[in-house]
Amino acid sequence: MVEVSAVWAPLAAILLGLLAVAAAGLDGALAARGQGTPALTGTRRPGVEMARLLRQRRRTLVSADRPLWRFGGGGLGVVALLMVAVIPLGRWTLLDLPVGVVWFNAMDVVVWALVWLAGWGPNSGYGLVGGYRFLALALAYELPLMFALTGPAVAAGSLRMADVAAAQHGLWFAVWMPVAFAVYLLSVVAFSVWGPFSTPAGVDVAGGVLAELSGADRLLLLAGRYALLAAGASVAVPLFLGGGAGPLLPGWAWVLVKAGLLLALLVDLRWRWPALRPERFAEVGWLVLLPAVLLQVLVVAVVAVVRS
Amino acid sequence: MGLTDRLRKRLARWAVSGAHVLLVEAPDGWAARVGAERAIDARGWRVANGPADADVLAVCGRPGPELAAAAARVWDQLPGPRVRVDVLGAERAGAALTAAATGLADDVAQRGDARRRGEDASTSGPADDSDHGDTDHGDSDDGDGDHGAGDMAPHGIPLAEGAPDRDGLEMDVLHLPLGPVLRHWPAGLVLHTTLAGDVVVEARPEVLDPDRGPQPSATGAAEAAARRCDAAADCLALAGWNTAAAAARRVRDSLLDGDPQGPARLAELHRRVRGSRTLRWSLRDLGRVGDDPLDTRRELPDGWRGDAYDRLLALLRPLDAASDAADRRPGEPALAVLPELVTGLELGSVRIVIASLGLGPDDVVRHPAESGVRRA
Repeated sequence: MVEVSAVWAPLAAILLGLLAVAAAGLDGALAARGQGTPALTGTRRPGVEMARLLRQRRRTLVSADRPLWRFGGGGLGVVALLMVAVIPLGRWTLLDLPVGVVWFNAMDVVVWALVWLAGWGPNSGYGLVGGYRFLALALAYELPLMFALTGPAVAAGSLRMADVAAAQHGLWFAVWMPVAFAVYLLSVVAFSVWGPFSTPAGVDVAGGVLAELSGADRLLLLAGRYALLAAGASVAVPLFLGGGAGPLLPGWAWVLVKAGLLLALLVDLRWRWPALRPERFAEVGWLVLLPAVLLQVLVVAVVAVVRS
Repeated sequence: MGLTDRLRKRLARWAVSGAHVLLVEAPDGWAARVGAERAIDARGWRVANGPADADVLAVCGRPGPELAAAAARVWDQLPGPRVRVDVLGAERAGAALTAAATGLADDVAQRGDARRRGEDASTSGPADDSDHGDTDHGDSDDGDGDHGAGDMAPHGIPLAEGAPDRDGLEMDVLHLPLGPVLRHWPAGLVLHTTLAGDVVVEARPEVLDPDRGPQPSATGAAEAAARRCDAAADCLALAGWNTAAAAARRVRDSLLDGDPQGPARLAELHRRVRGSRTLRWSLRDLGRVGDDPLDTRRELPDGWRGDAYDRLLALLRPLDAASDAADRRPGEPALAVLPELVTGLELGSVRIVIASLGLGPDDVVRHPAESGVRRA
């Protein structure tokens, strides 16, 4: 594994941005189909929305905590970029941390603070409720996510992303630890405030954490949301989908292909499932997901001991 | 024409091709609002969730003075570029949106509007800001009385008070009026809620412009079914199931158009909604009505029996003139039971419960006998 210079960070940002725009385009196409207009016109959606929000004025509210509010909205994209920094792209990586898996986990916990601040900052009732909802969801998904991340790390005997990816030659972790993989994907959808977990920005609270954002500020938060979804899908590649391993194509291309396909799946989820109400999901998180993923980790640990 | 001008024109063209419209529905504006929604879909525009998200404010129907005042306050909250249009009937919705698109793309007029707003804000001083301030879509004066000026009320907004929550713990409470300008919300209704976190601990309904006369209701079984379908679409959207909500709106449109396939599509939608286990799990036991002897004494409409899930499925029942006629019993104290029904629920559940009742303009009326419904 070659750790490349930080000069390449913009390339990582561009790749992440392209994935995010592709996700937004796919979502626009699915939305257009639902509206009864040709799906192809929907792919223009990210561009149209960007133009609209760049032209729109920013706004603020009385007694808004502006620094924290802007920090919350703008931080999501930064966190997404910090997440993908530890992904091995073929032979290269930006940050070859010996604790890459923990790094990813730490970054997803930062999202707690950011979404909460985005809800708290504007001094608006709907925003505040959105923030509460995110924390309620986070309490339900975070522990299962932590244990889901433990699975690949235990099986590989390392917290380094490259080692985890390399430990899967022959059999992807997604195949023999499906529960951990499923919980991981659910958590990615949840920390991206997406689809079934989008209640913190739900229409029932007039947009929740999005309720008071306009113009460039709104654009940053929406883009950050797609970037988080893309980052989560990309990190799944070394953790569960064998990293860059695959026939014909070079390693970096496989990473992007796998991340793109997984991302498409996550985007589509929004159009398939009703939202999970936070107060009902807490029960699922603690009584179903957590025991299931603990059992999964037990199985993985036994297999790891037997193999060594 | 310079390069920047051309770029600006292009930016405007793109921006306008995906404008977001905030709909204000007056009690007589159901048909106009449905027409506006269809025109929005046809243009590939979007319905906005709130004023911050909106480029166009479309007032559907003829609002009374109180609703008009609320719409004016919301208008102040649109970030701009912004356009306001009145949609007086379904058939005029397309033309209204075309006018809105022209207005939005007019850079000169929009810059003038922005300049005037800047001047207004600087002359009116900070005291006036409370109106542009919070998302208040109704009165913002709740709880003002017992807090003087000074530190307890920075910028004229009182700090949160404490009160015991449903578990008896002391918690900050927040006053949040729901409506009247709120998506998927009954026209002309404001629900003044007190929230502990996101749980409603107190609710008081208020009817805007209560002195209006009887409202146009459904003419014929097909339109009654279309109105029910529209209520079901609201409920599905609030439950976060966008695809089914869009499908319900399409069924509503085909019923309104007299499409012979309409009833069959309604039945298919009913099957599809009934088939979703996630939805059932999510809505079961919400806002249950009918087991309580109090409820039978009140003679609530039959369509209210059961929980939100039952009511949603009942909204999607087949065309049936008799049952729809039975449903419309003016004078029922529909609003009087709202507070009991929603107190103790999370805000999102409150929204779903209210949508599942399918309140029409004739339900949102004042009952002098009910003390809870008087104007505060």
